[in-house]
Amino acid sequence: MSLLGTLAIAGSGMSAESERLSAIASNLANANTSVAPGGQPYKAREVVFQAVPADGADDGASAGMAGVKVAAVVESPAPNPTVYDPGSSFADENGYVQMPNVNPVDEMVNMISAQQDYQANLEAFNVAKTLALRTLTI
Amino acid sequence: MVAAIDTGLEFYRQVLALRGYRQEVLSADIANASTPGFKGVDLDFAHALDAVVHQRDRQAPAKSQRLWLVDDPRQLAAEDTGGDHTPAAAASFIKYQTGSEVSLDGNSVDLDQEKTTAADNAVQYEAATTFATQTIRMLTIAINGSGSQQSGGS
Repeated sequence: MSLLGTLAIAGSGMSAESERLSAIASNLANANTSVAPGGQPYKAREVVFQAVPADGADDGASAGMAGVKVAAVVESPAPNPTVYDPGSSFADENGYVQMPNVNPVDEMVNMISAQQDYQANLEAFNVAKTLALRTLTI
Repeated sequence: MVAAIDTGLEFYRQVLALRGYRQEVLSADIANASTPGFKGVDLDFAHALDAVVHQRDRQAPAKSQRLWLVDDPRQLAAEDTGGDHTPAAAASFIKYQTGSEVSLDGNSVDLDQEKTTAADNAVQYEAATTFATQTIRMLTIAINGSGSQQSGGS
């Protein structure tokens, strides 16, 4: 039954997008997390999506259909900025503090994109549900 | 007579199966709207339905199609002539979408277009269910002799 496969695919999309949202939330929450000299400063995390054969592909009908999953969570390779803040308890001997490489503007844009994708998946899920229920009334 | 009922409803069964399949294809596109390298696809509904219907017509004289109730699709493999399993037959009518902008990560899914197409497909699906319901109602009226008894009862 392909409509149930649709539910599985849309569900995989929602779950992947919510994982993306939680990575964004983690980045934003740690946007100002400085560390003591010598410590490893926070690196922005990014999720990598990958298309996978759908869960609902049990009857051969869903051949070629792809759900989505988070293949990996990678750390941003961007260099960590240092800020001159001699008053901070984490400042090194020259007065510089290592800051996370989180760019709040990037994160906000990413968040809007994730929100739109999540909504689109939810819409697809609801439509499939409506159609399946409608079919039951034939 | 049973064959007549079958042919009346069989067409809608094919339409609903294909519409449901297309909904799944579009939903897979939406789920992969942010997957790097993913290329949007769509089902060529008109050609797929045409092929399925004509395949049925060719096979109709030999053996009328029935829905098989099996636990596993492989149980069908020996006697399945290829036309009964609609979505599998339709998989060859999946085509890549062209004309949409490909982003830097190689993704070609246009979310707005996908949503519009999916909404359109959903309406068409509901229309097909309505037609199927009407066909059943018509057959019921024919069997009962008149619709007055049924409408009075419901």
